[in-house]
Amino acid sequence: MSKYEYVKEPALVKGDHDFSSLTRLVTDINLRPTPKAWYVAMIGANTLLFVMIAAIGYLIWEGTGIWGLTNPVGWGWAIINFVWWVGIGHAGTLISAILFLFRQDWRTAINRFAEAMTIFAVMCAGVFPAIHVGRIWVIYWVFPIPNQMQMWPNFNSPLLWDVFAVSTYFTVSLLFWYVGLVPDLATIRDRATSKIRKICYGIFSLGWTGSNRHWWNYEKAYMILAGLATPLVLSVHTIVSFDFAVSMIPGWHTTIFPPYFVAGAIFSGFAMVLTLMLVARKIYGMKDIMTNDHMEKMNIIILVTGSMVGFAYMMEFFIAWYSGVEYEKAIFMLRATGPYAWAYWTMMTCNVLSPQFFWFKKLRRSVGFTFFISIVVNIGMWFERFVITVTSLANDYLPSSWDYYSPTIWDVLTYVGTFGLFFTMFLLFLRFLPMVALAEIKAVTPQADPHNYDEETKEFIPPKVEVPEPQAQKV
Amino acid sequence: MSHKPTITDSLQFPADSKVPRALFGLGAAGIIASAVGYFFNADQFFASYLVSFTFFTGIGIAALMMVMLHHITRSSWGVLVRRISEVFSANMMIWGIFLIPVLLGIHNLYHWSHEDAVMADKLLQGKSAYLNTPFFIGRQVLYFVIWGFLGYKLHKASVEMDETGDWGITTHLRKLSAPGILLLALSLTFASFDWLMSVDPHWFSTMFGVYFFAICFQAFWPVMILMVFFLQGQGLLKKTIQQVHIYDLGAWFFAFTVFYAYIAFSQFLLIYYANIPEETLWYYHRLEGSWKYIAYSLLVFRFAVPFLVLMNREAKHRRSVLAFISIVVLVIHFAEIYWIVMPVFSEHGIHFNWMDITTFLGLGGMFFGLFFNKFQKHKMVPVNDPKLDDCLSKSYHQ
Repeated sequence: MSKYEYVKEPALVKGDHDFSSLTRLVTDINLRPTPKAWYVAMIGANTLLFVMIAAIGYLIWEGTGIWGLTNPVGWGWAIINFVWWVGIGHAGTLISAILFLFRQDWRTAINRFAEAMTIFAVMCAGVFPAIHVGRIWVIYWVFPIPNQMQMWPNFNSPLLWDVFAVSTYFTVSLLFWYVGLVPDLATIRDRATSKIRKICYGIFSLGWTGSNRHWWNYEKAYMILAGLATPLVLSVHTIVSFDFAVSMIPGWHTTIFPPYFVAGAIFSGFAMVLTLMLVARKIYGMKDIMTNDHMEKMNIIILVTGSMVGFAYMMEFFIAWYSGVEYEKAIFMLRATGPYAWAYWTMMTCNVLSPQFFWFKKLRRSVGFTFFISIVVNIGMWFERFVITVTSLANDYLPSSWDYYSPTIWDVLTYVGTFGLFFTMFLLFLRFLPMVALAEIKAVTPQADPHNYDEETKEFIPPKVEVPEPQAQKV
Repeated sequence: MSHKPTITDSLQFPADSKVPRALFGLGAAGIIASAVGYFFNADQFFASYLVSFTFFTGIGIAALMMVMLHHITRSSWGVLVRRISEVFSANMMIWGIFLIPVLLGIHNLYHWSHEDAVMADKLLQGKSAYLNTPFFIGRQVLYFVIWGFLGYKLHKASVEMDETGDWGITTHLRKLSAPGILLLALSLTFASFDWLMSVDPHWFSTMFGVYFFAICFQAFWPVMILMVFFLQGQGLLKKTIQQVHIYDLGAWFFAFTVFYAYIAFSQFLLIYYANIPEETLWYYHRLEGSWKYIAYSLLVFRFAVPFLVLMNREAKHRRSVLAFISIVVLVIHFAEIYWIVMPVFSEHGIHFNWMDITTFLGLGGMFFGLFFNKFQKHKMVPVNDPKLDDCLSKSYHQ
């Protein structure tokens, strides 16, 4: 016998749940009267949202001079925040599309949640490129719209590819999310007692009855959207990395950027999903669905992607030396020892060192520790974008123009304000939409795979018939 | 009547099979012919040898990665074909012997190994802490120690589970695979720098390790598909490995075709776009003369054709189509490694030599001879794997 024990794979849903108890667990949240704490949270989120609107309003009035941008640091917090938010979104698509194609059933507990996060994170990301253009009233010029002035965007620029990539990503993510929501919206419609709810959920559930034909179409559509969304996980952050990597700026122009950015995006996205999930499952009592086993699996993904990011840092450093290019060598030395060394070492600690704790099973399964690391990782990933953007620009080819970059209060307020946008949307989601993919989670319970056959006694067991709940049930 | 799936095929590769001997014969013939060639044109011999060596070692590396990924993700889809990759990985230890000619040919292959060349070249002086003969040899030994150790352990434990049926072994395999993947990722990256990138010692690309992984992994799936077809052609495992399992191999093949295209194109685009001389020169040489025909056929036969064909669900069910695309990709995989290495030795165009064929046949015969030699010693399927039932009773809609 070997010295190791066989570890059985844990059940995906904990507790003694049947289909109707799962339905109640998830949809009661939407059908109950709004809790007071929700209003309190909403006021907080709206305050921050107002801060964002005010900061943007002043920006449009006054111009980008209110930001800390200087020459040569022409790209500052705006691009950092854009990349950070759009990166966070990637976890949702990875969970919903790639894990679906890989037939990873555990995704069903978190996919709805993560997809919602994706959509809101991409909204927050979209704010920054839109507002930084200076003349926001002609923002539609980013689209190639035929016009009598024969003015076209620069098709050679990755910034234009970003417009296409991010808008495609947003559209497909939204569609994917909505298609998944339809059967669950129908469940809420059927359980709703108030007329307004019945009508609203009724409209959005598109006449879903759960017939065989509906499911057949649904699964086809879901599969096709998963196939479409999968390359988008790679393409969006690849093109974001092209924003930097097609240039000739030392520290930006390096071929590993595309996969490295994608790994980093998934890394930060999973961390964000964990941060939100651990709070939400406690408040809403979802521990049976979003279990510690899910948390452990996500921590493993954080460990893997964190190590990929660490690998990329190492490759950059090694090749900077190996290339023999003076400027590359200089910029990497400056990153580690120059004026922004504090940011560099923050990034290294948070992104490379901190996920390594997840080699230990005890720490992977510790809720408090996971919550802590999930925040540390997102701080680290913000600093990664800061290090890339600022260090390469601040110390450019001309030492005479070197200067220390610091943000202004308006940079900070705009960034903090986007959390207001994010949490406003997220609270609305938690209140009005089912936060777990109910139909999917039912499909991975043992009840969904009846065999009607007892292995030991070799006897036929008649299937249990579930009596449907009366529609107008009080909740 | 139990609904539990059972295996009715024989699980033993016939011990009296002539296949290993035939392959060893082919290998020996190829190696002897190449050895003769060495006395006529040593430079050509070593260059041809390096191409073939990288081709087959890459398949071994990819197999090793596949086995470890399979364990770490507790996959069920590929239990039936896992033994094939395990045997490829287990042979990495012996395969190290075939590295020796590369080490002997270091002066013929690697410009940086000449001290006078380094003295005359400021860039090479800067790299000499990494690119020097003793360190190069040391690294090669280290790579093969890592790969040999992992491959040996993974195969041994899995075979042990055949006998004992102790599922605790899967825990051991997972614990081995997690750090194993990390070690393999690092070692294959530096191996790709050593074997392929440093042939042109001035050139560099941070993506190169990922690129090497992508080409090897894309070429690994056709090897698996053809191997399954070969075994079934011999009347083996005909009822065990079913259409649905072959379909999965096809799906992986498709996925890594896209991954390859993504990585190779990103590397090309970034270098092309920035247009810095120290980087573009590498592609410049590979896009001039007759080299450009290989470059363009990579686009067509390594991406466009397999992508468009394998996207179709029906195509992944048709054995003839899968076999055809597999052969196409393996041919172009060889051409790609050839296209990476050879322009250094023949700048102005493809200069085909008979040793390109003999080294390929020699190493290929040995590689697959060693494979069948080991394959026939144990069961062809891990019969006591906890995931075997899941794999056998697989349906399309899981």
